[in-house]
Amino acid sequence: MSQVKFLNLKLKNPTVLASGILGLTASSMRRVVEFGGAGAVTTKSFNIEWRKGHKNPSILPFRHGLLNAVGLSNPGIDEMVKEIRLFKRQCDAPIFASVFGRTIDEFAEVTRRTVEAQPDLIEVNISCPNVHSEFGQPFGNSCKDTAKITEIVKKNAGNIPVSIKLGPHGPGVARLARVCEEHGADAITAINTVGPGMLIDIEVRKPILSNKTGGVSGPAILPIAVKSVYEVYKAVNIPIIGTGGVTVPEDAVQMILAGATLIGIGTGVYYQGIDVFKKIEQGIREYLDRHGFKSIEEIRGGAHE
Amino acid sequence: MSDLMQTFPVKRIVEHGPGVKSFYFDRVTDADAGQFVNVWLPGIDEKPYSVSAIGEDWLEISVKAYGVFSGAMMKLKVGELVGIRGPFGKGFTLRDNALIIGGGIGIAPLRILARELSDRNFRFVSLLGAATAHEVIFVDDFRRRSSNCYVTTDDGTLGKKGLVTDDLLEIIKKEKIEFIYAAGPEIMFVKIKELIDPLGIPYEFCLERYMKCGIGICGQCTLDGSGIRLCVEGPVLNQDDLKAVTELGLPHRDASGRRV
Repeated sequence: MSQVKFLNLKLKNPTVLASGILGLTASSMRRVVEFGGAGAVTTKSFNIEWRKGHKNPSILPFRHGLLNAVGLSNPGIDEMVKEIRLFKRQCDAPIFASVFGRTIDEFAEVTRRTVEAQPDLIEVNISCPNVHSEFGQPFGNSCKDTAKITEIVKKNAGNIPVSIKLGPHGPGVARLARVCEEHGADAITAINTVGPGMLIDIEVRKPILSNKTGGVSGPAILPIAVKSVYEVYKAVNIPIIGTGGVTVPEDAVQMILAGATLIGIGTGVYYQGIDVFKKIEQGIREYLDRHGFKSIEEIRGGAHE
Repeated sequence: MSDLMQTFPVKRIVEHGPGVKSFYFDRVTDADAGQFVNVWLPGIDEKPYSVSAIGEDWLEISVKAYGVFSGAMMKLKVGELVGIRGPFGKGFTLRDNALIIGGGIGIAPLRILARELSDRNFRFVSLLGAATAHEVIFVDDFRRRSSNCYVTTDDGTLGKKGLVTDDLLEIIKKEKIEFIYAAGPEIMFVKIKELIDPLGIPYEFCLERYMKCGIGICGQCTLDGSGIRLCVEGPVLNQDDLKAVTELGLPHRDASGRRV
């Protein structure tokens, strides 16, 4: 009942580990599948060269979610290719490789190298909101850059499908999603963290994050994510990985009603534990049962007129 | 206490010797032996530290100068504000007839353990080792609370010259040890494990890894082989937790995730 088809893939259930959470190593991602119950996993975003990212504090809980400026730390493509291959040898669940670049050429190169590991999907992170000071505005804030990156990643991805990860900012997520679809994207991941935002320590009277600002995730952003998925579903025909603030099954059902095919879960791990995937999958099933539906397909996009 | 960052003034500082200090705060949180807090020095960095003791109205963190952050800790003055969030992780279980093995600043999380064990009238023996005398912190406290306390130093300035593992098997036998706790450098765990695995005595080690979030989401401290998160399922792991771990003794992952 929870099985879902996404592009050329069959997932045991529609939950996906979102990028940036527990996605550094094969062992960690395998545990998210085997113990946590995720239908698929996404790696931490990586590039050709390793990066240390921002200093700590880089991840901070607040009353309604998390604020993070990890700063795209990653061990580089060589390490990540190894980890993806190891995961594929040990685990049947699909693995999505999240890539980023500082320049459009880097997106091409990291895609070419990622293909070596044969992930099931390449997710393109063009919307990280916490590296402004170094990278400038995210590419995903411009329709022109989004088009260029989609095109170049597709050109280098071979037969591996590509999802572009968009944020709620810039020219609007629906417009950006249309641009991605027109330039060959196979799916859309919506949304990235929101903001950036800031938290200040009132005794020290300074921002707490070492980067001062960071992306907001968790329950606080669920309504923005649901609305973004709703708009993207209206705008394009390609499937959507709905991500942002999903913590309990009811949040996931909202995402599906808005039009998501898969549900990305990241910060939910903080609130519900690693088995958040299992809990949400079970809750979706109970919802379908209660309302007499036989499959998730029957309710997808159900909130639209 | 909570996961949210809050800042508190340093109330008191004790210098054990060059580059080893204990910092005292109000009792801003409870913590089980082995649990840790994330300590933030505004403008510098944030790092995980074991709570080394808790009193009626105080909390103690013990630090050895090692890198940039601990170096900055050494310059802290009474009254300065330090961020503390936590406690995080899973601590030690409390057992009777145990041997406590501490290496260097790894003695810190064992001090709170020794206090909890003696509060419950459990019998335990201590085996503490460090490079030199002043790094065997709180040795008097351990001597007072343990039924027996063995000390080794690399330079022979306190106790027997040598390593904690030198006489380990003899001490286990002589003291009729039924459970082992250890905290210290990873090479010490590898050696202890080698010696005690054949005996079948259950044990708990308090491990360290580079950490970012402390709340089980960033994945930076997950252990290869098992995938468990040291900040949530650890930092104290038992013999069963360690069975699947393939990285004991390897270089730790740094902030980028590479092993260096």
